[in-house]
Amino acid sequence: MPWVIAAYAVTGVVLVGYILYLRAARGAALRDQQRRS
Amino acid sequence: MVPAAITLSVVAALAWLLWLAADVPARIGSARWVGLASLALVPVWLLLVSYYAPIEAVQGIIQKIFYVHIPAIIPTYFGFVLSALGGVLYLRSREERWDTLAAAGAEVGVVFCTLMLLVGPIWAKPAWGQWWAWDLRLTMTLILWFIYVAYLFLRSFAFGSDTARTYTAVYGIAGVGAIPFVYFALDLAKGAAMHPVNPAREGLPPEMGQTVGVGMITFIWIFAWLVAKRCELGTLQARALASRLGAH
Repeated sequence: MPWVIAAYAVTGVVLVGYILYLRAARGAALRDQQRRS
Repeated sequence: MVPAAITLSVVAALAWLLWLAADVPARIGSARWVGLASLALVPVWLLLVSYYAPIEAVQGIIQKIFYVHIPAIIPTYFGFVLSALGGVLYLRSREERWDTLAAAGAEVGVVFCTLMLLVGPIWAKPAWGQWWAWDLRLTMTLILWFIYVAYLFLRSFAFGSDTARTYTAVYGIAGVGAIPFVYFALDLAKGAAMHPVNPAREGLPPEMGQTVGVGMITFIWIFAWLVAKRCELGTLQARALASRLGAH
């Protein structure tokens, strides 16, 4: 069972981590754009 | 029915992404619905994995890793093929929007390929007694991952120039040539591999087939949503770069 939990937990961490990266990068790009306009 | 739903999902996701990539700022609103739909599929998939799919006789409970490992394959291939398609469209039209799609496909493809490479050893250790083996399937998958990580490095080092876009488009198109070697690695290895057989030919019991099918559909739509969000980010970054260059 711990192996199964580990596999699904890794999946969650990778996908949620990537979603958070996209959100942070989007926020930074929007702020950059606003600062220059 | 499930294989038809998987094919339909791939075709619909591809059509939606091509439509979205043609005008990201005007069409990104549709990504919200795709995101919500794919999020709604996650508990369905997890419930099927937990309660519907039977416990496999030989491996026992650890075989449940199958339902997350196998679905990650389709978005991996989908991402790299999408990157090549974006590259072809860019080389034909020289329009930045297709380059943005190519970059998004490659990046999200790498995310799912990473997932597959991380989850695989977690299954391999209890099932086969070792984390990794340098057989043809695993080595080719790792090479595929390196090919597209190198693609992302190439893009980040030369962000924004037409020459870089051209090189990365050609590189991305050439990169998909590695996919058949990964898929048919088990046939080429002639039994000398950790993986016994390609899952598509395994002849699974219906409950297992349906569960992994729902997992694939879930991952396809999560993939499509992430590509859409990455296209939005790419468009915003391109605008920021243009305004930065305009300011100088």
